Amino acid sequence: MKLRTRLVVATIGVTVPMVVLLMWLDGRARHQAAAVALSEGITRRLQNPDERYRCEDAPAAWGKPRPRGGPPGRDHAPPRRPPPFPMGAPPVHYAYDEALRSPNPAAPALSPAWARGADERDFYIVPRAWWSDDVDIVVRTPWGEGPCAYVLTHGTTTPGFIGALLPASPIWLLPLAAVLVAILVAVGPVIARIRRLTAAVQRSAAQGFADSVPVEGKDELGELARAFDAASREVRAQLAVKDQREQTLREFLSSTTHDVMIPLTVLQAHLTTLREAHAAGRAPDPLILTAAMDETHYIGALLHNLAVAAKLDAGEPGMIKGPVDLNALVTRVVSRHAPIARQRAIALEHAVPEQPLETEADVTMLEQAVSNVLYNAIRHNRTGGHVALILEPQPEERFRVRVIDDGPGIPPAQLERVAKRGQRGDAARTRAPDGQGLGLDIAHRVARLHGHDLRFTASEFGGLQVDLEGPTEPSRPEPKDQ
Amino acid sequence: MPDRILLIEDDQELGAQIVESLKKAGFDPTWWRAGRHLEPAHLSGLVLVILDLMLPSVYGLDILKELRASGAEVPVLVLSARNDTADKVRALKLGADDYMTKPFWPEELVERVRARIRRPALQRGDALEVGKLRLDLATRGATVDGGVVELTRVEFDLLAALARRPGVAVTRGWLVEHVLDPDREGNERTLDVHVSRLRKKLGAAVRVETVWGIGYRLGTGAEPA
Repeated sequence: MKLRTRLVVATIGVTVPMVVLLMWLDGRARHQAAAVALSEGITRRLQNPDERYRCEDAPAAWGKPRPRGGPPGRDHAPPRRPPPFPMGAPPVHYAYDEALRSPNPAAPALSPAWARGADERDFYIVPRAWWSDDVDIVVRTPWGEGPCAYVLTHGTTTPGFIGALLPASPIWLLPLAAVLVAILVAVGPVIARIRRLTAAVQRSAAQGFADSVPVEGKDELGELARAFDAASREVRAQLAVKDQREQTLREFLSSTTHDVMIPLTVLQAHLTTLREAHAAGRAPDPLILTAAMDETHYIGALLHNLAVAAKLDAGEPGMIKGPVDLNALVTRVVSRHAPIARQRAIALEHAVPEQPLETEADVTMLEQAVSNVLYNAIRHNRTGGHVALILEPQPEERFRVRVIDDGPGIPPAQLERVAKRGQRGDAARTRAPDGQGLGLDIAHRVARLHGHDLRFTASEFGGLQVDLEGPTEPSRPEPKDQ
Repeated sequence: MPDRILLIEDDQELGAQIVESLKKAGFDPTWWRAGRHLEPAHLSGLVLVILDLMLPSVYGLDILKELRASGAEVPVLVLSARNDTADKVRALKLGADDYMTKPFWPEELVERVRARIRRPALQRGDALEVGKLRLDLATRGATVDGGVVELTRVEFDLLAALARRPGVAVTRGWLVEHVLDPDREGNERTLDVHVSRLRKKLGAAVRVETVWGIGYRLGTGAEPA
């Protein structure tokens, strides 16, 4: 249903019952007033003793209305001036004997109940439907016998004649019509604005909410338009975020594929060389074997790094922080890389404090950060080199993870570049020319996300020294490990 | 008798390789190819359970939950292919002792298994025993292979500090701070002097190893270098 129709229906639905109620009240009041007026008229007439004789002389003809404005009758009624509004018909009287019969053929039948009512009261009002114009009352004459024992007086409630409360003419319908018209007229512009707003919102939606919704007015409709505008702005923002995410995901997938394919290809080449050696009956070259193992280790680390990178790209919500046992973390990281260090004949040592240190972090990210720093030290070391990872408590409730090596190290200029890495969002992945690829970038980003300090300096042993520092949490009262 | 380990791993190849590695390392592995209801009888004599979470199904975690609900305290090492913090947190909350993320080297697995079931240093009352070395913390007496070794106060404290965590590297910084007399001028050079004197007194049977970049460690003699 359209708004306009709905308004009309609602208006009619409210006003019609009200009008009916008013008409009912009006009808009742006018019936009542007319009955009282009729009773007064007939009572006054019957109090004239001549009236009995007149009636009993010709009961069939008695009671006919007298011509208005004619010469004064014998009832001593004063001449009346015609009222200024339309008048109803003058009252008609019918006489009945004690057996409730009337010689007047026009007289309606008189019910015994009405007569009983007239016996009991001064006059009896014959019940009529409320919308009826007719008013009938029954009175018992003062003498109460003979052919004129009862009188039924018939009148109407038509205004003017007996002083009805409301004007009978339909003029009172005018306010109702006026209200209806006013509503429809007032509603017109509102509907037009709603239509414009609807069209604007549909237009905006059709263009993927690229357009804003025009806001007009400072009333509720203006607020609605503003709300639509705000909603469409929100939708635009969400769509932009989604597009960004999709873009990131696509780039991630494509670079991941690229990054993994390279070491896999290298690995395949190594394996092919080994198979050829086997086919030729030669012992496999331990250097090739080590290189092949290196590549698989690298692929594993790379995949973990890519997963963490995806989480980092997603931002803070990707983090799940919780208490992290740093001793256990360091031990895990060392045991992960120990086999590859052994292969490369690099001595990998580590130390953890006797009392386990605990911090608040995302364990996967922090572990990957430490792992990357350690793997970096191993990867860029030479055969027979040393790498050590030391976890130590620091003053003021802090921990420090230090990784030192005696590898070739990094020239100061490059050191600065490594330190600055991670401030770039689009860090070159994996095998960057300086060899400090995705791994250290992730270490930087994880440290920054956790509020940890990550510092690269030259180690006293000739290689690199990397310090990761952060706050500790007081250890739990009952440590899980004995 | 070799230590019994229960492996719950549904991947045939990986399971077979883990079993092989554990056997080579001198353990007695039992391999379940599917998660099953764990009876107390299954657990008797087990030193460790290696549980693959078999993600993305949570079946592995169900086994873990059931195991811990039954009151069993056998250590559980969880294997997980997904390097996911939520999984780890959930596993540790359900009572896992440790977890390993795939891929891993067989050596790495064995090392982690050993670390998980390693017995703490033998300490009976006031005595510490590491291999042939015996330290009486009350009388501050040291014996190697039964023979008394005379040690200075600093040397004894140094040795006791290392013997408390045999096979574990202790940083020079910690030793300087906790072992050397703070009243006298103690630095890392002094520490090295004490260590070299200690080595001479102990002889070849007890190894005080230098750990590159860190400090010192008391060799247990049990583990291959």
